[in-house]
Amino acid sequence: MIVCTALAFRTIAIRDLSIPSGHTCVIGPNGSGKSTLLSLLAGIEVPEQGLITIDDETPRRTDVGWVGEFPEDNLIFRTVRNEIASALRFRHLPDEELEPRIGQALRDIGCEYLLDARCKELSGGEKALVVLAAALALRPKVLVLDEIDSHLDRSTAEDVQQILPSLSCMHVLQSTQNMDTASDADHLIYLEEGQVRYFGPPEEIFPNLEDTPFYPTLWRFAAWSSHLKR
Amino acid sequence: MELALEEVILTRKNWSLSARGIFSEGIHLITGRVGSGKSTLAQAIARLMEPTSGNIAYHGISRHTLSMQFPEYHTTGHLVRDEIRSWGLEPERICMEAGLMGRAHERSFALSRGELKRLHMSCILAGTWDLLILDEPFSTLDPVWKHRMRRKILAHHPPVTLIFTHEQAVLPRVDYLWEIRGGYLHALGPVPEAIPSWQGAPRYIEEVLKYGVVPDNITLEDAEDALCRMHA
Repeated sequence: MIVCTALAFRTIAIRDLSIPSGHTCVIGPNGSGKSTLLSLLAGIEVPEQGLITIDDETPRRTDVGWVGEFPEDNLIFRTVRNEIASALRFRHLPDEELEPRIGQALRDIGCEYLLDARCKELSGGEKALVVLAAALALRPKVLVLDEIDSHLDRSTAEDVQQILPSLSCMHVLQSTQNMDTASDADHLIYLEEGQVRYFGPPEEIFPNLEDTPFYPTLWRFAAWSSHLKR
Repeated sequence: MELALEEVILTRKNWSLSARGIFSEGIHLITGRVGSGKSTLAQAIARLMEPTSGNIAYHGISRHTLSMQFPEYHTTGHLVRDEIRSWGLEPERICMEAGLMGRAHERSFALSRGELKRLHMSCILAGTWDLLILDEPFSTLDPVWKHRMRRKILAHHPPVTLIFTHEQAVLPRVDYLWEIRGGYLHALGPVPEAIPSWQGAPRYIEEVLKYGVVPDNITLEDAEDALCRMHA
């Protein structure tokens, strides 16, 4: 369980929020604080006030895999192999463990073909996938994805979403502007001006947003389609 | 005005893209998988890189620009007002266009990424161009702003507009569809005739096509209209 208590940081002001394990999507307007909240939950930022605990530990004492909104910022090594290996080397894993973990992480997301590629020659979407592979290689307890789907075509984004439930991570925290993706999450956090306006499962949250563009496109289309059939 | 790709080949180490075809006046939507070469082709058309072989001809086109996927690549002004002035534009008007009223004094990189994208897109759409190349113009925008940006593009687009995107929910009405597959740029043709052969179509288009109906265009509203006609 992730627990936020009396949290204050920049525009974020959250009095009390408990996020159960599973896949949680953070949605909301541009500038509502999605990236800021995710960076707090990942331990990249430390709150000015209040407390975040992940199973009674602080985020900085928890294994967190991070895929930021600027994947290029995460890439510091020349080749994909070394980029993914770096996270493992920094944790002093023995050499014999590196190759299997690198291979598995790339296989998980269907990107084995990128193993020997040079990072600077990757497309924007491929960079996001390599950063994801580096995060998965750590086998983190918490995986944080900040709008990874904004870099991916539909088919690749669907492949990524499909592997998320099979990961051993206790928490997957993901921000997205694709409400169809958000509708598949276990829980939604709808942020507005730094505050949690709605929290709960998608089937409880989205009816509040039915008259806004935040309602999932496919739900709208399905409702329209079934209405016509009647 | 038209843009002609004459046997253009773009190559890197183990990758190549072959592209030929005419981009006539209208809005062209170009889709493709991750790594298929959308951004590379956009950069070549914007003359930021030379094709390995072939030629790109600009018939009657003298003013063109490229909007890159990541707005931070374009940002040169320390403050929002400096950024807007760097485009030769008036800060107050653009701030209003971008939904950033009263924020001209803020640091450009203190904006959220979506806000920065709104700022950048508002600047680029305020310019006068013959050819506009938009690489992922909707990415990072929230659903409300995706709709607004769609309206702005339709209202302000220049004669030849190329939109490279994998947006799935909020698409503008377009004139032509193109798709990059297997290392080739395929001209699918004018809309609506091209829609059935569009492999990267959004789910709602796929659903309509399953009924054997072709929508007039590619928006969700077009898909709903097509279903409505079928049931009428």
